[in-house]
Amino acid sequence: MSARQAAGGVALAIALTLPLFVKSPYILHIAIVTGIYMVLVQSLNIVLGYCGLLSLASPAFFGMGAYVATLLALKLGWDSGVTLALAAFAGIVTAVVIGFPSLRVSRHAFVIVTLAATLLLQLVALNWEDVTRGSLGLPDIPAPRFFGVAVTSRIAWYYFSAAAALGALAATWLLVSSRIGRAMVAVRDNEQLALACGIDAFRTRLFAFCFSAALGAIAGGIYAHFITYIDPGVFGFSVTETLLIMVILGGPGTLLGPLAGAVIFTALPEILRLAPEMRSLIYGVILLAVVLYHPRRVFA
Amino acid sequence: MATDPVFLAQLAANGLSVGLGYALAAIGLALIFGIVGQVNFAHGELYMLGAFLLYWATQRLGLPYGAAGVLVVLAMGGVGALLAQIVIVPNLQRSFESVVLGTLAVGIILQNAVRLIFGATPLDVSSPFEQLSFDLGGVLVFGQRLLVGAAFVAAFAGLSALLRYTEMGRAMRATAQNPDACLMVGIDTRRVTRWTTALSAALIGLAAVVICPLFDLYPNMGTDVVIKSFAVVIIGGMGNVWGAALAGIALGLAESYAGGLGNATMRDAIAFVLMIAMLLARPHGLLGRTVRV
Repeated sequence: MSARQAAGGVALAIALTLPLFVKSPYILHIAIVTGIYMVLVQSLNIVLGYCGLLSLASPAFFGMGAYVATLLALKLGWDSGVTLALAAFAGIVTAVVIGFPSLRVSRHAFVIVTLAATLLLQLVALNWEDVTRGSLGLPDIPAPRFFGVAVTSRIAWYYFSAAAALGALAATWLLVSSRIGRAMVAVRDNEQLALACGIDAFRTRLFAFCFSAALGAIAGGIYAHFITYIDPGVFGFSVTETLLIMVILGGPGTLLGPLAGAVIFTALPEILRLAPEMRSLIYGVILLAVVLYHPRRVFA
Repeated sequence: MATDPVFLAQLAANGLSVGLGYALAAIGLALIFGIVGQVNFAHGELYMLGAFLLYWATQRLGLPYGAAGVLVVLAMGGVGALLAQIVIVPNLQRSFESVVLGTLAVGIILQNAVRLIFGATPLDVSSPFEQLSFDLGGVLVFGQRLLVGAAFVAAFAGLSALLRYTEMGRAMRATAQNPDACLMVGIDTRRVTRWTTALSAALIGLAAVVICPLFDLYPNMGTDVVIKSFAVVIIGGMGNVWGAALAGIALGLAESYAGGLGNATMRDAIAFVLMIAMLLARPHGLLGRTVRV
């Protein structure tokens, strides 16, 4: 345990001082994206790792968060604290609309509806041109502003992204060490027994799904401000693919494993300079191999 | 204009022809779920593969449309049997999420392999039915759309006959009712799984052959099909082939009227709205709880 604490301390120290000795804007850019992915992996980890529920709706929350935060910032110019909170709220509403009807029916219905809903949201973003400008996308998204202070420089962005990642980690830790977090694990491990103990499996799953949606939407909002341009591609399936690889190979149902997954699978494609098609192809092969040869790895 | 009876009839004709396509694309998905209880997340990519095989057979091998179509349907049956052997059969005893992830992975592999081989430039397959159109009292009906309808009727009749009158069909229905009892009376459920998946892939191959000349071919074209197929399967009642057929036609009509009398956003949103409304009002779909295959 102490060795792991030391390793964790070293990792944290490196993370906090990285901009002091790394000046390359390229590497800082990747580090900032990694921070956003660290929020996203916890979002999937809560549902898949801790609650044992396969959700393919990550891009739905990511995209909703990106569009809500962007539209509020562009049209109303509100403080980013408010817009990100409203983005999280939009994510939760989406999760309720998807999760409430489908979780009542079956896990089969849930996984189908998460995918179908995500793809339909992308279609709506593409064709609701009055609001989203369709495939032209929304450019010139301003820098996030908190109480009048804007996050503009790359180093400020680095710490903002690191704070978001730490915040997501803390939120996940608080959730999984709470009563409802233990209920999630109970539902995952033995639904019948959990029900017999008086745990409402439906409400527990819906809560986990909403919590994960809020994290995913906040990550989407931050991403939109960072890239300064979004189009319906933010609802794209590739986010799900990458997150599944990060969480499943990192270790679902653990706090730090998916974070390692996020670091490795953001850095590796950059180091290997893989074309996106090749990267997706390799992710597909890895996913298939895990399912066929290490099926126990998928669900903690 | 909006209440012009000819316009409304045209919307009905469009909706019906689109809906028959949805129904044809979705029955394979409903079939696997109804019989084996598994969800095939590579369904859309199988459609895409069928379309690219058709392109390859007609453009590269120079086969006529009809012969190429037959070849594609047979080849897709083989692909389905392979998919069952590699992904579905080994995971039959595990939680259904294993098959979901496994087929999802196969879908990702297929999509990106096709993108690497054929590139992302949209391709086109031509069909001799494309130029045909008929004017029925002001309502235009297109030849390729009629072919889609004919293919649906033939596939549905063939499937019903197969399930009712053949040995394998009876084994499939038995597996749908009670897989454990099947083992006791000597029905090999793994063999049933292979045949069911092959049949489902052949059906989506047929859907690709008749539908893809209407659209461009590109590597993630399967996504458009899978959205509607999943919505149709939920609306029709999961695993219910009759329900899927009805729901497909209903969705096509609803989209046609929403798009014709409203706008494109309403047309795209209606599948989502119907899916959620159906889960809330009738969680087991249009035709209720019974699994009818």
